[in-house]
Amino acid sequence: MLKLLLAIAVGIVGAALLHLVIVLSLPTFSDRDAYSRVLSEGEAFTFHILDQKPDAAGLAQEDPFLETAVCSFDTEERPVQLTAGSGVPFWSLAVYDPASNETFSINDRTSSGGKLDVIIATPLQATALRKAMPEGLNQSILIESAQTQGYAVLRAMAPQPSYRPLAAAFLSSAGCQPAE
Amino acid sequence: MLRVPLLIAISLAIAFGGGIWSTLVALEATIGFGAIKLGAWEAFPQAQTRNADPYAKSHRANAGKLLYGTAEGLTFTAAVDDSGARLDGNCSYRLSGHTPPARLWSLFTNDANGRPPAENAELPAALNSRTVLRSADGGFVVTISASAQPNNWLAVAPAQPFRLVLTLFDTPTAGSSGLIDLSMPKVEKIGCGNA
Repeated sequence: MLKLLLAIAVGIVGAALLHLVIVLSLPTFSDRDAYSRVLSEGEAFTFHILDQKPDAAGLAQEDPFLETAVCSFDTEERPVQLTAGSGVPFWSLAVYDPASNETFSINDRTSSGGKLDVIIATPLQATALRKAMPEGLNQSILIESAQTQGYAVLRAMAPQPSYRPLAAAFLSSAGCQPAE
Repeated sequence: MLRVPLLIAISLAIAFGGGIWSTLVALEATIGFGAIKLGAWEAFPQAQTRNADPYAKSHRANAGKLLYGTAEGLTFTAAVDDSGARLDGNCSYRLSGHTPPARLWSLFTNDANGRPPAENAELPAALNSRTVLRSADGGFVVTISASAQPNNWLAVAPAQPFRLVLTLFDTPTAGSSGLIDLSMPKVEKIGCGNA
């Protein structure tokens, strides 16, 4: 009887250990996290507009009023520039690293002139850019991130059905390209 | 003779079964620690940051959702009403009051799969701060019910549990630590069945 109780106690301790191991290691091994899903949306350096229903990659609009697009990028060789116009009641951008930690977020009121113009660069690239800012980039917001890989999520609000074409046009005109 | 292998088998079964089961339950039940609770509503302003706790990081790696950044918005969810009873499609609820300061907000219900309603649904399954009808003081009253209601009506599927999702966009709430003083709309049950 005592041995049975001991066996159960050992089992519970083992269960607690396994619980901790799974919780701590899941972020490293998960293949259904947001970054993997954004990568399987398709090619990098372009905004993929998400559907209402989850697509093959498993991503979908999380809010019925927010049209959403995602773009994965890699700043290993060159910084990436995210651009978009204006004309929607609300837009917002969030940039994440591969572990889905937020590195930067902005919305239309916190940007200059309501337009999206953001450059993500490694610290080395950012120093080079600051030294000699190319002509077209001096209005851009420069973000330093030591992580070279990541993804951006751009959302545009369509509070009423008549705004939907505006939001769709906003997202399809958004750029996510390596900066020249 | 077989007692020692049996005891080892019991230990291993409890360790693996219990470990996997408790992890699945924990990741399903909560988004992590550090929730802000305001009445029936809860929000996780740290869930998308580097400072999120291991459970939150594990949950978001497993769920694979696109979270809101700090400048974007903050999502409050409610699975229970103010008395603590689970929200159910058989009952009608009244949501009344004000939201914390925000430029815009949206309100909808998630179904059992955690999916929002389609925006072109025939019933009003989602409201936002521009389409809601307000009273003279800027507050609003929304009736959440499976059958049609006057004034603001949020349609839910009958006889199914649901979860209310209220997202505040461009809100100082997301970056503030004084959240406890904020007031969220009340969620009261007003009747069940056909009563």
